[in-house]
Amino acid sequence: MNADPPGEPTLAQLEALFFVAERPLSRREIARLAGTDVGTVDERLGDLQVALRERGIRLVAAGERVELVTAPEAGALIARYIGAEGLRLTPAGLETLAIVAYRQPVTRSLIDGIRGVDSEYVLRTLLHRRLVVELGRADTPGRPYLYGTGFEFLERFGLTSLDDLPPLEAEIAATLAGEDA
Amino acid sequence: MTAPSLEVTLRPDRAGTATPVIRIGAFDGPLALLLAVIEARRLDVLTVPLGDLAEAFLEALAHLEGDRLPSLSSFVEVAAQLILIKSRALLPRPPAPPPGEGLEEGFDPEEELRRRLVLYRAYRDAGRRLAERLAWPGLFHREAGVAAAAGLAGARPPQEPPLDPAALADALRGLARLLPPPELAPGRLVREITMEERADAIRAALRAAPVIVLQELLRGVRDRVVAAVTFLAMLELVKRRELIVEQAEPWGPIVCRRPGEGGA
Repeated sequence: MNADPPGEPTLAQLEALFFVAERPLSRREIARLAGTDVGTVDERLGDLQVALRERGIRLVAAGERVELVTAPEAGALIARYIGAEGLRLTPAGLETLAIVAYRQPVTRSLIDGIRGVDSEYVLRTLLHRRLVVELGRADTPGRPYLYGTGFEFLERFGLTSLDDLPPLEAEIAATLAGEDA
Repeated sequence: MTAPSLEVTLRPDRAGTATPVIRIGAFDGPLALLLAVIEARRLDVLTVPLGDLAEAFLEALAHLEGDRLPSLSSFVEVAAQLILIKSRALLPRPPAPPPGEGLEEGFDPEEELRRRLVLYRAYRDAGRRLAERLAWPGLFHREAGVAAAAGLAGARPPQEPPLDPAALADALRGLARLLPPPELAPGRLVREITMEERADAIRAALRAAPVIVLQELLRGVRDRVVAAVTFLAMLELVKRRELIVEQAEPWGPIVCRRPGEGGA
C-alpha cells in the first residue's frame, strides 16, 4: 500500500505533502506522518526552504506550523488570476498590528497601554481579517487572551517569517528593553 | 493602500499666522493627537517641553470631529497630564522631600509622558513601514475552491469591459419569446363541487325518469371526486327520505327512485 519508507522524509515528499494539504501543517503532524522526530522534520524543512529559493513557491513558518505559499515575485500575477483585492487598514489598525507583530504574544491591555486608548474595536477587526489570531491565555489574573500574528499577516505583508519584519530602530529597541524591565 | 486618518492642514488665524488644524481617525488615541501636534510644529519629541503643548493639545481636542465620547476619558487623561506638567514648570518647586518620603518620589510626569510618546511613535512608525509592504500583492496559499472560482472568472479575459446589463435584459426577453405560455395542469385546477349541486343533478334525473341507476348517471364522469360527491349526495337524499336506494348485490347497479314510485 505505502511504498514510502518511514523515517527521514525526502524534500520531494515534503513538497508533495504541502501541495496536497491546502492548509498549514504542524511540524509534529509531519513527524507523525513520516514516522520520524520533530528535529529531523525541522532539518528537512530548512533544506526545503533553501531548495525553494529559486522556485515559484516558498515555505512560510508561523510558530509551530508551516505552509506552502507563492513566491513574492509571483504575487501580482496570482492576484490578477484569483481576483485578489488589496488590503486597506487604518493607521490605528496598522499601529495595533505592529504592536502585535513585534510584541507577540501580547494582551489587549498592553496594546491599550501603548496606544493610550481602548483598542477593542481595532483588535476585533484585525482578528476578523485573520491578521491577528488568539494564541491562548496568559497565566495572569483574569487569564486575558494572548494575541499574535497569523499566516494571513505573513502572506498579506509578503513575509516568509517574522524574522523578515523590518527591524525596529535601535533607540526604540532600547526603549522596549527598558519597558520590558 | 491605507485609509488616511491623520491629517494636518494649516489655517491662517487673525494675526496671519498659520495654525495647524489636526484631524485624526476615529480610533486614534490621545498619543496620536499629541504626537501630531508636536510634528505639525516641527518639534522634537525628545526635547520639547511637553507642558508648553497643553494649550495646543486642548485646542486640537476641541476641533476633533466625530463622536469621541467612548474614548473621551483617555484624551482627558493626557490633557490633565499636560496641565500638570505645565503647572509644575510654572510653579516654584518645593524643596525635595527627604528620600523615602512623598508619593511622587522619583516620578516625573513629563518624562513618563515622553516615554509613552516615544514608545507609541515606535509602533506607529513600524505600522507605517508595514503599510509600505502592503503595496506588495502578497503571498498566496492553495485553498479549496479558489482556483476553481478563478477558473470560472477567467473564462472572460480580465481586460474585457464589464458585461452590459442591457445585453442580459435582451437575452431574457428573447427567452420569454421562445417559451410558449405555460399551460395549467388539469389536476391543479381549483374548483368546487357541492353536495347540493350533485343532489340537484339526481333530482333532475329523477324528474326525467321514475327510476335511475347511479352508475348510468355517472357514465361519462371521469372525475372520482365528482363520483364520490354524487354518491354522498345520494346518501344525503336517502337520509332526507327524498330517495329510496336499492342494490341487489355487491358491485351491482344502484337503483334510485322516489318514495311512492313503486318498488322494482
